[in-house]
Amino acid sequence: MSHHHNDSNQYYYEGDQSKLYSGIMNHHFNHDVKSAESKKQIGRIWKVFWILLIVTVIEVVIGMFFSHHMPHGLVAFFFLALTLLKAGYIVAIFMHLGDEVKNFILMILIPLSLFIWFIIAFLADGNYWLHINSTSPVR
Amino acid sequence: MAQQATAVTTEQKIWEGGQSPFKVSYGKMMMWIFLLSDAFTFGAFLISYGTNRFFSSVWPDPNKVFHAFPFMGEANLPLLFVSLMTFILIMSSVTMVLAVHAGHYGDRAGVTKWLMWTILGGICFLSCQAWEWTHLHHQGAWWGSFTDSTMSLDSFKHLFRDSAVADPTFAAGAGMRATHDFYNYFFTITGFHGMHVFSGVVLLVMILINTVNGTYDRRGHYEMVEKVGLYWHFVDLVWVFVFTCFYLL
Repeated sequence: MSHHHNDSNQYYYEGDQSKLYSGIMNHHFNHDVKSAESKKQIGRIWKVFWILLIVTVIEVVIGMFFSHHMPHGLVAFFFLALTLLKAGYIVAIFMHLGDEVKNFILMILIPLSLFIWFIIAFLADGNYWLHINSTSPVR
Repeated sequence: MAQQATAVTTEQKIWEGGQSPFKVSYGKMMMWIFLLSDAFTFGAFLISYGTNRFFSSVWPDPNKVFHAFPFMGEANLPLLFVSLMTFILIMSSVTMVLAVHAGHYGDRAGVTKWLMWTILGGICFLSCQAWEWTHLHHQGAWWGSFTDSTMSLDSFKHLFRDSAVADPTFAAGAGMRATHDFYNYFFTITGFHGMHVFSGVVLLVMILINTVNGTYDRRGHYEMVEKVGLYWHFVDLVWVFVFTCFYLL
C-alpha cells in the first residue's frame, strides 16, 4: 500500500474533520428545515415514537394483568421479542445506524452477537447451580 | 471481467487512505465504540442479575415491589410509576433526535429548543428515580439490606407472590437471600444507569451553551450534538433492557 504524505491527506487525519462529517449526514446543512425532505424525516421520528409508546403500553398491560396467568417461558419470550423490537427501532432510526455505511453497521453489530453465547452460558449455569443446591443432601 | 476489475480497484481505493471508508469522523466512530464497550458493561450486569435469579428457588415479584406512586399513599398501582419514567425517557429520546435533525439543517433555534426539552426530560427522569429510591429506602431496602437472620418472614414476604409464600417449600432463608440479591442488583444497575443519565444531562447542558453561543455555526456543523445524541439514545436503550429485566420479567 502506498503512503501519501501530502498536505491534503494529513488534513483528513489530523485537521478539522468537518469534511468527513459532511460526507453522509451533513448534506442538508443550510437547507430549509421546513422543506419536504426535512418534514419526511421528522414524520419518521414521530412514527417511531408511536411504535415505542404502543409497544411499551402492550408490555405494561401484559405485565399487570396477564403475565401471572401465562406460562413463564412464553411471557419471557414475548417480553424479550418486544424489547428487541424497541431496541432495533432506537438504534436504526434514533441513532441513525440504519443510515450508515453497511460495513460500519456490521462493525457495531457483529461483536454484540457474543451476547447470544453469554446469555445461554450464564443462565444455564444458574439453572445448574439451582439444580445442585436443591438436590444435594448437604446445603 | 472489466466490471470485476473496476470493483476491485474501487475496493482498494476505499481502504488506501485519503478518505474515510466508513464515512464517519474519528469522534463519531469512537463514540460508537465507547457505546459498544458500555453495552458489554451493562450486559454483564444484567446477565449477572439473570444468573443470580436463575439459581434462586424464589424471587420477589416486581408487581409487589413496585406498586407505589407519588402522593397516592398506600394505593396499589403496580408498574404505573415506572411506566411514567419509561414514557419520560422515550419522550426525551424523541426530542433529542429532533435536536440532531435540526443540527443537520444548521437550524440553531431548533437545536436550542429541542435540547432544552431533552434536558427537562432528563431532569424529570432523575427526579422520578430519586423518589423511587427514597421510597424503597423507607421500606428498608438498600445495598446490603435483608441480611439479618433474626428478621421475621413478615418483613419481606409481601414482596413475593401470595402463591409462592403459601407454597410449603418456601424457605425463609432463601426468600430473604433473594430479597437481598434483588435489591443489591436493583440499586447497582439503576444507579449505574442513573449515573449515565446524570452525565448525559451535564453533556447536554454543555452543548446547549455551545449552541447558544454559535460555536457550531462557526464550526460549520452540529456533529457534537449528534455525538451526545448517540450517548443519550444509548441511555434510553439501556433503560429499555433494565425495564424488561427488573419490572416485567
